[in-house]
Amino acid sequence: MSDLDIVGPQLAVLVAAAAVLLVDALIPQHRRIVPFVALAGLALSAAWTLSWVARDDYQTAFEGTLSLDKFSVFFYFLFAGITATVVLASIDWVNRAGRGQGEYYALVLTSCAGLMFLSASRDLITIYVALELSSIPQYILAGWGKDNRSSEAGLKYLLLGAVASSILLYGMALLYGLTGTTMLDGIADAIAADGESHRSLLVLASVLLIAGFGFKMAVVPFQMWVPDVYQGAPTPVAAYLSVGSKAAAFAVVLRIFFEALGEGFLSDDWSTVFAVLAAVSMTVGNVMAVVQTDIKRMLGYSSIAQAGNFMVGLAAISVSGEEFTLGASSVLVFLAAYAFTNLGAFIAVIAISQRIGSDQIKDYAGMWKRSPVLALALAFCLVSLTGIPPTAGFWAKMYIFNAGIRADLAWLVIIGVLNSVISGYYYLSVARQMFLGDAEGADRVRVSPSIGLSLGVATLGVLVFGILPTPLISAAKDAAEIFSRQ
Amino acid sequence: MLHEYGHIGILLIIALLFPMGALVTSWAFRYVGVRPFASQDPVKTDIYECGVRTEGPTQVQFNFRFYYVALLFVLFDVEIIFLFPWALVFDDLGWAAYGKGLLFIATFIVGGIYAWRKRALEWR
Repeated sequence: MSDLDIVGPQLAVLVAAAAVLLVDALIPQHRRIVPFVALAGLALSAAWTLSWVARDDYQTAFEGTLSLDKFSVFFYFLFAGITATVVLASIDWVNRAGRGQGEYYALVLTSCAGLMFLSASRDLITIYVALELSSIPQYILAGWGKDNRSSEAGLKYLLLGAVASSILLYGMALLYGLTGTTMLDGIADAIAADGESHRSLLVLASVLLIAGFGFKMAVVPFQMWVPDVYQGAPTPVAAYLSVGSKAAAFAVVLRIFFEALGEGFLSDDWSTVFAVLAAVSMTVGNVMAVVQTDIKRMLGYSSIAQAGNFMVGLAAISVSGEEFTLGASSVLVFLAAYAFTNLGAFIAVIAISQRIGSDQIKDYAGMWKRSPVLALALAFCLVSLTGIPPTAGFWAKMYIFNAGIRADLAWLVIIGVLNSVISGYYYLSVARQMFLGDAEGADRVRVSPSIGLSLGVATLGVLVFGILPTPLISAAKDAAEIFSRQ
Repeated sequence: MLHEYGHIGILLIIALLFPMGALVTSWAFRYVGVRPFASQDPVKTDIYECGVRTEGPTQVQFNFRFYYVALLFVLFDVEIIFLFPWALVFDDLGWAAYGKGLLFIATFIVGGIYAWRKRALEWR
């Protein structure tokens, strides 16, 4: 049973999903406790992960296809935290939508278990199954709303997601055909032994994999779905998509590319692809975000631009010697900081739009007078997205640009810094509207306890890691150790 | 490794040639008088040459509860597919496999209870 013990954190989440369904079906009069059952499951999962950290006995399960190491533990905590925050932020919305209360949380939890499996898998087939386990609930959730916009978002996400995963399968099949194994370490050995002779096919496989995962990471040119889905999907779901599926995609890309395809001659090629995609993503995302009038669309384009920033860390694999893992650890730091920040921004948007019934940026005018706390929290998260101290976003950007400089990607870092200036314009113009604009309605905007709590946690995370980034950076360094070469 | 994919390549070529051969033969038969150039016979142009004649449009509405039944059927069908090999090698695998099998069945029981309580099994 030790295999089941190793996947305990995922099992806890899945059992919670089943419990949520049963509570909803068997005792519908006590439906109100459903989200708390979900939260209890996530807490149990985090506790189980903690017990593995305490045991300090890292091993693999199911013939080595799933690996419990410091990298997956980092992501278990991240995903449990993200999902708990999203569940808290969803309570109001789901109660108001009034239908499928159990199913909503069950789908969120199932998707969370998929994300956890994804961060732990070391085998192409397991990666694919975990990817689908996390994606299919997300397709349903994106279409959860009753309006046409939401249905369109769900359908668009499903169709484009199906195309992306078929491209991904082409890449995986090619990789399997060239190396004869689906295990990541086996692929690395086969490429080290006899890779040079298939160089062009290996590059083709890498490009197909980048295209497949690029959809999930939401980088240009696979970004078309992002603004439409974020705008149409229910806001808590958009928050979950923007953080959860993006983080998992980067986790699995780190594993595949740094572990299986990390061989020198190959990484030179794909790191160039990542560098170019990073530059294009940042520029396109930021320029498009400037002209948006809907705050959810703006956050959608901003998440494309942020994905460009993440990719600087992926491109920085060529840092040699002792600091080889610098690129990977900088991606992890950025992911954690971005998770707190973007969740905070989205939750503030949920709270505000629930009361004023609009997602237009111009309707945010004078929010400072209507709800000082919400305005401050949103402004703080936007400042963190820009990358200004004292926020977690500042350290994340500094760390990832540092990795870029060490990897001789100064041109990319210059583009990144220029883009930060552009992003400052549209992030801070929302803040300017809130603090300097004239309020249209005089009534106060109030916040429910669950949204207040989740917003508090997210903003506190941004602030604490902004002042004391050391614990986060050292945890990321530990997690990235698995990629180090002896 | 790549070598072994040659078999699939041969299969692919056959798969392409086979329908092309059928089409070319059918086209060539017109010139040797086996097949007429243009068929006036309505039976020949029918979608089904034999069987019951189709009545009405094909896109009719039908009760969506068929969907529930089909879904539940597929679910339990797949369960059986997995349980047969499990039962077959049960002797060699021992109690650990027994536990995992029970876990798998428990998943289905949860789904069954859910379907029952949500009245997916009733034909209202």
